[in-house]
Amino acid sequence: MTALVLRHDGPGTVTVPGPRRRLIGLVVALAALLVLLALSVMIGSTAIAPSVVWDALFHPSDDIDQFAIRDYRLPRTVVGLVVGAALGLSGALIQALTRNPLADPGILGVHAGASFAVTVAVGVLGVRDIGGYMWFAFAGALVVTITVLGLGSTRRGQSPVVLVLAGVCVGAVLGGAREALQLTDPDAFDALRSWNAGSVVGRPLDLVWPILPFFAVALVLAFAVSGPLNAMALGDELALAQGVRLVRTRVFAIVALTLLAGGATAIAGPIGFVGLMIPHVARWIVGPHQRWIFAYSVLLAPILLLASDILGRVVMHPSEIPVGVVTAFVGAPVLIVLVRRTKASGL
Amino acid sequence: MTTTSRRSGSATAAMFLSAALVLTACGSDGGDADDKAGETHSVTADNGTIEVPVDPQRVVTIGNTTLPFIDMGGEPMGVTDVSASELGLIPEEQKATFEAATNLGASADQVDMEQLAGLEPDLILAQFPESEFEPLEKRLESIAPTVFWGLGTEWKAFADGLARAGDVTDELGEQKAEFESKVTGIQETYGEIIDDISFVNLDRWASSDPGTYSIADFGCVEIAQDDIGMDFPEAAEGQDPLGWTSLPFEQLAELSEYDVITYPVDAEGRPTEPFAPVVETNTWKALPAVSSGRALGVFCPGNNSYGPVLQYLDSLDAALATLPAKE
Repeated sequence: MTALVLRHDGPGTVTVPGPRRRLIGLVVALAALLVLLALSVMIGSTAIAPSVVWDALFHPSDDIDQFAIRDYRLPRTVVGLVVGAALGLSGALIQALTRNPLADPGILGVHAGASFAVTVAVGVLGVRDIGGYMWFAFAGALVVTITVLGLGSTRRGQSPVVLVLAGVCVGAVLGGAREALQLTDPDAFDALRSWNAGSVVGRPLDLVWPILPFFAVALVLAFAVSGPLNAMALGDELALAQGVRLVRTRVFAIVALTLLAGGATAIAGPIGFVGLMIPHVARWIVGPHQRWIFAYSVLLAPILLLASDILGRVVMHPSEIPVGVVTAFVGAPVLIVLVRRTKASGL
Repeated sequence: MTTTSRRSGSATAAMFLSAALVLTACGSDGGDADDKAGETHSVTADNGTIEVPVDPQRVVTIGNTTLPFIDMGGEPMGVTDVSASELGLIPEEQKATFEAATNLGASADQVDMEQLAGLEPDLILAQFPESEFEPLEKRLESIAPTVFWGLGTEWKAFADGLARAGDVTDELGEQKAEFESKVTGIQETYGEIIDDISFVNLDRWASSDPGTYSIADFGCVEIAQDDIGMDFPEAAEGQDPLGWTSLPFEQLAELSEYDVITYPVDAEGRPTEPFAPVVETNTWKALPAVSSGRALGVFCPGNNSYGPVLQYLDSLDAALATLPAKE
């Protein structure tokens, strides 16, 4: 990876790696992801021999240790992969869309909408299991983002600044309403306390599969708008001059990031820093090319999430730390170091 | 009514309260309520020695004192809220008593002080976290004599103190006699079977993180361990209770070392709603104790007063009766 570090050759000049190096970097990232996937299945709060892990995956039996692999480690690994990729890509999308390096998916009210919907589901409707309120979270994220999109639209289309302001305002209102509900309903408070931490534990794959088609649609939309987003990074006027359809690009991008962030939040709860930090890392490696940033984000974000989850399983043995807590601890210092080392993460 | 009284220090607390609960009658011992009107005696609890009416007529209960006081026949005129799940576990007549009282707020820190003062109570009985009592202490004591217990108080000492302060000792005496009888019965019937068996008690609550459970060493299991003599794992001296640690389902396999598993069920014998995800796992089904019929569902409606504890003992008795002899 060090071969891909950007060089500052002088004031105002930044050397970015060529397509070949970007591709090599992508392969390295893919290899690292595969290693993390293997480690995630092998490492846990219970010591299980690698041979048992192998048998659990390829020669399944009713051995009690094999259940630990198939029923717990494998699902959380798949959840980490899917949620990580979704958060990374949605973060790259929101930063490109708003041309704001500090933007993350929560800025459009995704987390606020999902959290509020879960609070209503638990506190008002009595939904108790995660399979029940996951869909409320997804619907809440979608409805709130569409509302923000409506509020943030002006006669001249959607302005990134107005969109962000609308997202912040709606998020604040829903946050207050959510807290009021939680204070009057201890059950809702308990459910939200756990959900808000952000975790990939106890999410059966049966709950994840139905979300995947939404992610697939979002993936196609995201890469479809990556070219226009490159042009929009130079400003709306220049993008228009290049024939970019601004409104359509923004709508596609918002739909994609909402499906990704809403789905990820519905499955795992709000997990911070992944969507904020990973696009910075990707931009640092490949420069301001959205398609490459998106591709790198899809691979790098699960690496961070899986590494954080593995760390969370072993540092507090026999208990575990939710992955959302670990990503905050790991992500914040790394982000600070990256931002201080290079200007390449700026937009 | 699932006060998480910790095992550590519980014995000390019991001795302390038993010894410190001093009643100094200032008047006659006459049973007539009129004779006792205006008379006071001193009661010692976690907030010191308090002078309270011998025959309180207008009692307000705050926090965990509400259901135990009602369980002992008390009729509070003001109460703080009780969760629907707790309310669903108590007898109908006790529920009616609770609902007849004025609701003063969701919890101790949300008590409507103006409304409380308006009730003109002659005694306030309170149990909730010590940290919440300090800011309320002066305001409560300005309204009526207040007897306070922290959550670390051992349940029998708490029941004794509550009964004496609230003048419901007659019902308590009957409950205690029944408790002793049931404990002795279980010890005599199953003593030989349980002597060589290692038990582990599991639990899971509505607030538990998804995919986690706990080895619970507080609550009703303390009665099985301390009063009946069953062998359950417990935290090392000075350490936090085992039940405070959430364990991932992955670690269920490590329970294979125990002969018998006890787990929470509702009044109908079904796993409690929070615990149901545990029994649905393949790991649970593969545990030796489960596959050999040595996983015992036990109903624990509460462990803060004798009424629910008696129900627990009945359930434990029935569960132990299904235990096959150890091979």
